[in-house]
Amino acid sequence: MIEILETSLFALLALGVLTGGLMILLARRPATHAMGFFIALLSVAGLFALLHQSFLFFAQVLVSVGGVVIVTLIMILTVNLREADLPPEPHQTRWLIGAAVIIAPLSLLLYQTLTTLGDAFPPVSDTFGGTRSLGTLLFHDGVLPFEILSVLLLTAMVGAIIIGKKEQSYDRES
Amino acid sequence: MTVNPDAYFAVATLLFSLGILGVISRRNLLVMYLSIELMLNAVNLILATFSRLHPDEGGTMIALFMIGVIAAEAALFLAVIVQIYRKKHTLDSDAFTELAQGKKL
Amino acid sequence: MSSSLPSLIVLLPFFGAGVMGFVYLFVPAGRNLRRFYVAVGIGTPLLAALLGLIVVGEMLTLPASASIASPLYSWIAIGSFEIDVAFVVDRLSAVMLLVVTLVGSLIHIYAVGYMWDDQGFGKFFAYFNFFLGAMLLLVLANNPILLFIGWELVGLASYLLIGFYHHDTANITAANKAFLLNRVGDFGFVSGLGLLFALQKQSGFDFAAIFAGLGGIDTAMLSLIGLLLFVGAMGKSAQIPLYVWLPDAMAGPTPVSALIHAATMVTAGVYMVARFAPLYNRIPDVGLFIAGIGAASALLAALFASWQNDIKKILAYSTMSQLGYMLIAVGLGEYSNGIFHLAAHAFFKALLFMGAGAVIIALHHEQDIFKMGGLGSRLPAVRRTMLVATLAITGIPIFAGFFSKDAILSYAFASGHTTIWAIGVVVAFLTAYYMFRLYFVVFVAPNHRSSRSRQSPSLTSLPRSMVWPLFVLAAGSIFLGFWNLPEAYGGSTWFSHELHLADHEAHLRFAKEYILDGFNVLVALLGIAIAYRKFVRPSHPLNAPIHRIAWQRALANTLYIDTLYDRLIVRPLRGISNWQDRLIDPKIIDGSLRGLVTLYRGVATQSARLQNGNLRWYALTFLLGVSGISLYLLIAIGGAS
Repeated sequence: MIEILETSLFALLALGVLTGGLMILLARRPATHAMGFFIALLSVAGLFALLHQSFLFFAQVLVSVGGVVIVTLIMILTVNLREADLPPEPHQTRWLIGAAVIIAPLSLLLYQTLTTLGDAFPPVSDTFGGTRSLGTLLFHDGVLPFEILSVLLLTAMVGAIIIGKKEQSYDRES
Repeated sequence: MTVNPDAYFAVATLLFSLGILGVISRRNLLVMYLSIELMLNAVNLILATFSRLHPDEGGTMIALFMIGVIAAEAALFLAVIVQIYRKKHTLDSDAFTELAQGKKL
Repeated sequence: MSSSLPSLIVLLPFFGAGVMGFVYLFVPAGRNLRRFYVAVGIGTPLLAALLGLIVVGEMLTLPASASIASPLYSWIAIGSFEIDVAFVVDRLSAVMLLVVTLVGSLIHIYAVGYMWDDQGFGKFFAYFNFFLGAMLLLVLANNPILLFIGWELVGLASYLLIGFYHHDTANITAANKAFLLNRVGDFGFVSGLGLLFALQKQSGFDFAAIFAGLGGIDTAMLSLIGLLLFVGAMGKSAQIPLYVWLPDAMAGPTPVSALIHAATMVTAGVYMVARFAPLYNRIPDVGLFIAGIGAASALLAALFASWQNDIKKILAYSTMSQLGYMLIAVGLGEYSNGIFHLAAHAFFKALLFMGAGAVIIALHHEQDIFKMGGLGSRLPAVRRTMLVATLAITGIPIFAGFFSKDAILSYAFASGHTTIWAIGVVVAFLTAYYMFRLYFVVFVAPNHRSSRSRQSPSLTSLPRSMVWPLFVLAAGSIFLGFWNLPEAYGGSTWFSHELHLADHEAHLRFAKEYILDGFNVLVALLGIAIAYRKFVRPSHPLNAPIHRIAWQRALANTLYIDTLYDRLIVRPLRGISNWQDRLIDPKIIDGSLRGLVTLYRGVATQSARLQNGNLRWYALTFLLGVSGISLYLLIAIGGAS
């Protein structure tokens, strides 16, 4: 019973991931993109949950879905793209097929390499992926990357503010 | 546990490929940005699967860091897109050919 | 023994040339500069002559085989192999040193008078000093490489001075001709040197080392080397078949003809053969070939000289003929006689040229002897000295030419080469004829042109500097012979003895020698008599001869050999050049280059298309590579897993 539930859940989430990706890839209007993005990220979060990564699931939902998608939406609204501002893409289908042909070997290789890693998930304790165990690990082994990441986030914030400012000196020069 | 790791890997690979396809075949800068995000998430998915497969929470930790990096990257990328749009009033990536030397051939 | 004097002797003229060249180029012309040019232009050769005398005097106190070395610096040193810039005075180069500096000084002094009114006075003396330095470099070099440098530099000086009057295209052509024909000879010379160098086994490439190592080379290769070196001599000493430049070289100023194309440079070939005496002594067959070429050239030149009208061309062919004598001598192995004739010839031929130059100046650059005539009473000094020189070259006893020429001929006879001897006698006869033809027509015979219009030829008065060197040379032409007085006349052949060269020995009984010499003198007198009969007591009015008979016309035109060369060599070469110019150069060479350029441009244009600044393109090309690698990995590894 649980297995059937899990399998169908996985199928649903996988479908969500691919649907979101295809929406981004094929759609033309920014609103559709944002929608696809939202679906894809949320589905990935669901997959995390299925993988017993509860903390990662929360982080994904909070940061990616709640943060990045919202910021993207805000950006789309701020820019207020009109139809005319969108780039014309006359040969989009041709490009898509060509690129797909080019990428196929890479994807195949990637998949083949990945599938050599293991055949079945081992059983894990209930605390796996939980806040407690992850937090312990984070503050034992990952303190330095964690701190660096905080600096990176700060820098990115400052950078984004500076870049996003309306009036910039090089604008006047050019 | 019936779902095979290969299934997760297949989903991750497909997501990654979709990302690459988006970067190459679309001219819309916004789509390119979103495609990159998709690729990053595909990698995150793979990391999470590794972590579950071994089982070792190191992979989870890295995936966690990556979420942070994705956030930083998103902030910067979006700021750049806004700025670019202000300059040229288009999101066409082919309009930005300053990397080429001299005239566009 | 070593001394720095020889180096100084060589460097002095170069220094003079450099100073004068600098002043000529960078100091604005003015009258006063001439004094400076005279001071430097005459001063350096005189100083060199003085130093030369000191060095030679010093050397005479040494044993005959000794030499004075003067190393300047090491030029090429590869391991134990060394080529030095070093000069050496031994007995042979001492003779050349004295001839070059003494005769050279006199001709320099003479040239002051001759060139006084010329615009390029300073340039002339710069070139002239440069030549002198180059010639000294040639004769004093202690290794063949240095000799070759001198050899080329005298060629350059000769080229510059033949084309000295460069407003006239004909002179430039003559200069080019001389230069190119000398290149042909030099090619042989340098090939010979290269071969010698390649076959050398011991280290060091100076003459002493080379001669010491000659035994290690087999005779066939030695013969080839000897022949190739002699090809160089053919060009430089104007022998068959490379002689045609010498008559044309008379386009230069007369002092140049006297110094370069009579007294010194053209004798370089003879000097070279004598210098390589140990080499040529091993290959008598090549020596015989040299003698044969010499004899043939002597005969041909004498024939040509007998039918020429241009005074300088007569003397040019005469020079070639006398050089033929010298080559007979060195070819047959009597090196010291050849060198002795060289020295004597330098005196009397320089004198002849300078006398001719005096006449030419006096007559405002008239060179046709049949337009001169009757000058004897008006230029007594020139006439007297010219007579001395004419007698000397003719081989009348007590004059230098008698001893030097007869020594060569009697040696040829004594060593059994009677054919060469016979040719030599015929040449002696012709020499007497054409020299006295020149002398009689210019000085003795009445001037028919002036008899038509008596007052027309007003003579330019000759400056003193042009006259008194003639007397010095005349004295030399008279007395030089006694230096090498044969034993048959109570002498001791002091010169040949002191020269200490590897001569072959062949002796005649005195009685036979008297007979031979007497015969020679008789033959010469016969030539003089015929000339006298034809030109002083002519049966019909003396005029420039118009040759009606075919062979005479042919000889007057020097057998059309210039034309023959033109047809056989110059025109085919020009044809090939034109063909190359039309086909190979534009089509093949330029065409292939142009094709390459087009190819590169095409490739560049196509690859620049990739560099279009479009990010997606970059990503695409990047992914193409990644995809290729992936494909390879899939095929190579994927199948195995």
